[in-house]
Amino acid sequence: MSIKRKLVFTVSLLCLMSVALSASASTDSVLSRWRKTVKIMDEDNMGFVEFTVTYYSAEYIQALVQKEAKANLWTKDEEENYKYQLLKTLQLERNIPIFIEINNYGSALRMAPFGDQVELWINGKSYSPVDYDKRFNFKLTGKREGFVYFPRYNEETGQPLLAKAKTIKFSIDGGVSPITMGRRPSIDFLWDVYRDNPDQFFTGKAAERLELDRLIIRLGNLKEQRGDIQKQLDELDAELARIQSRIDELQSK
Amino acid sequence: MKKLCALLAVVALVAFAAPAFAANPFMDVPMNHWAYDAVGQLAARGIISGYPDGTFKGNQPITRYEMASVTARALAVIDMEKASKQDVEMLKRLVVEFKDELDALGVKVDKIDSRVAVLEENIGGWKFWGELRFDAKFEGERNLYNDEYTLEGDKEFNLNRFRLWMSKQIDENTKFVARLGTSDSTTKYAPTRWERYYLETKLPYDIKMTAGLWLYDWEWDSGLYIDEDAWFTDAGMKGFWFQKSFGLGDVQAMIGHDDSYSNGADGIFNTVDDVNSDYMFYGLRANFNFNEQFRFALNGLMRAYDDLNNQDESVYWADFTFNFNPNIAFKGAYFMEDLDAPKVTGGDDSPSAYKAILDVKQDALKFTSIWIEYAKFDEGFSVWNNNNGGDAFAYDAYGASVLYNRGYDDTTILFGSLKQQWNDKWATYERYLTADFDATGVDDATNWTFGVLYYYTPAITFDLAYDKVDWGDSTSATTHDGTATRTGDDNIVRFRTHVKF
Repeated sequence: MSIKRKLVFTVSLLCLMSVALSASASTDSVLSRWRKTVKIMDEDNMGFVEFTVTYYSAEYIQALVQKEAKANLWTKDEEENYKYQLLKTLQLERNIPIFIEINNYGSALRMAPFGDQVELWINGKSYSPVDYDKRFNFKLTGKREGFVYFPRYNEETGQPLLAKAKTIKFSIDGGVSPITMGRRPSIDFLWDVYRDNPDQFFTGKAAERLELDRLIIRLGNLKEQRGDIQKQLDELDAELARIQSRIDELQSK
Repeated sequence: MKKLCALLAVVALVAFAAPAFAANPFMDVPMNHWAYDAVGQLAARGIISGYPDGTFKGNQPITRYEMASVTARALAVIDMEKASKQDVEMLKRLVVEFKDELDALGVKVDKIDSRVAVLEENIGGWKFWGELRFDAKFEGERNLYNDEYTLEGDKEFNLNRFRLWMSKQIDENTKFVARLGTSDSTTKYAPTRWERYYLETKLPYDIKMTAGLWLYDWEWDSGLYIDEDAWFTDAGMKGFWFQKSFGLGDVQAMIGHDDSYSNGADGIFNTVDDVNSDYMFYGLRANFNFNEQFRFALNGLMRAYDDLNNQDESVYWADFTFNFNPNIAFKGAYFMEDLDAPKVTGGDDSPSAYKAILDVKQDALKFTSIWIEYAKFDEGFSVWNNNNGGDAFAYDAYGASVLYNRGYDDTTILFGSLKQQWNDKWATYERYLTADFDATGVDDATNWTFGVLYYYTPAITFDLAYDKVDWGDSTSATTHDGTATRTGDDNIVRFRTHVKF
């Protein structure tokens, strides 16, 4: 390759990159940063399977709410109401929701049980979903979308799993499609969650309503637990009384 | 739920001929949602109603009672509006079309436990996939170089590929996968054979083991090529493959044995074993994602021949990806070979090569995706993934051996590929490659392609492509094996039907 051709090639590359980068600096760049697509072509570049996965970061939710508010000319109250409904739908108070859009123009995906095909890696540990859209269990050709939910808190300690996380990885098993089968262990999506600010979830009226909902649910759960424990205590007291009574009876003979 | 909305949307549009943009009374249905208008129209007609708090909760499942209520109201309105017989027939057809989805939704709500039990039971059953490619090819310069595009004549209608995949979950940790297939890409009318057969199982410490005949493709895993342009991997191997993930990174190791065959290198389609070319195969890879922007991998492969002395060969490479954003990536790889016997007499026994890639998705520029690859082979560097000898198979998507004249001299490659997905049905693509050979008297080789794809359904695709290869005019040199270099040009028109299930 001559020097002239190299120069033309380099300049073209730089022009292309600058055009592409400026295009990506639009207002939608925040949304697209948390919404990632992996498109996998088959060997002859005709068929493909495309996974688009969205992580609902605070930054993403804020941008989404603002975009909707702007498009619909909502008042502040309407915006808060929408945010409240969105947060409630996402189950953010207890789960990490990930939205998956699949566009399959390859051999049908047969992913049942779908919960076994996906995992979320946080701080080097893998987590299985607590719930997912069951339609992913059915044979899939064409388009389908739905949520998959992972736990937000450690079951035993109650600590938030994302507390010290820097980069998290969502993986779909490579065995879900013949296009990827054997070639690749998994189809991965990474997000630098340390660049996000989850505290943004819990600001404004929507967050207050959400927190109220969460506290009411927690209150109910605690009351239920207290009832169960009280029942056990009562049973133990009754058993103790019976034993003491029998001991007294035996000693009195 | 989405299918249901689609059904309701079509019912609304067919039966009512309502204005295109109905006001939507629900707070939680975004204006730009695809079902916004349909939901608004149905609400305006009283067919659907929201929850007491004014929300629609479009992502929540629907119960049978709700479904019955919606259907009854829709039928009542259709009757009231005196819908035509054709409209009602269309409604019936739509109901039939969406029956599985509606059934699934019903089961999901009412009998979820039993449905899940059925699904779990099905895990123990077989799953099948398949594909078939049928080609009609018309070649320009027939038999210019002993059938350049691998046709028997100047035209050919032929089954290009048939594959039947099957898998069975044996227990919760173990899966069996096999592929029965045939292909005419290397041998005409090859018999149907087991092209894959392997077990995947989980060992202690979450180590995944694959045993059998499998495919490894580390260059593809790193995103280093498109089409079928791998240099070393994208190859079958019999043996054992171990993988261990550490969250953001993973380590892989493999050991295998390749039984080479005298009339081919893939060991699948040919029958005469060439024991002199059998070799043990070893591989090691460590891949690590530092964050969402940067990843890095180290890879090594080794061939140790059973009966050939001083012929062992290894290749080591490092590769990386830097993502400027989710749609633009810069990638690179540096390869170094360690050869017992140099490919060029008196040449280097550790030649190197590299490639740099700019990968731009269509979302970045909106109208096209772009792949630009710049590669450089040093003298004596050879790639393994080839069927035609030398490096002729690399960059050979349509059959023409673009690198045939390379020999083992220094070679520079500039390769560009564009693809435009215009809508769900249509796509176009273009490829251009130029290879600059340093060998005296050998011209550059160029190859370009233009193609149109039509996705008739997600399962059936048609592809019309024109491919042209040009080796130049010079005839003064020979290739590495002493045969004459190629000159002139050739082209092919290919119409491919691809069916997947």
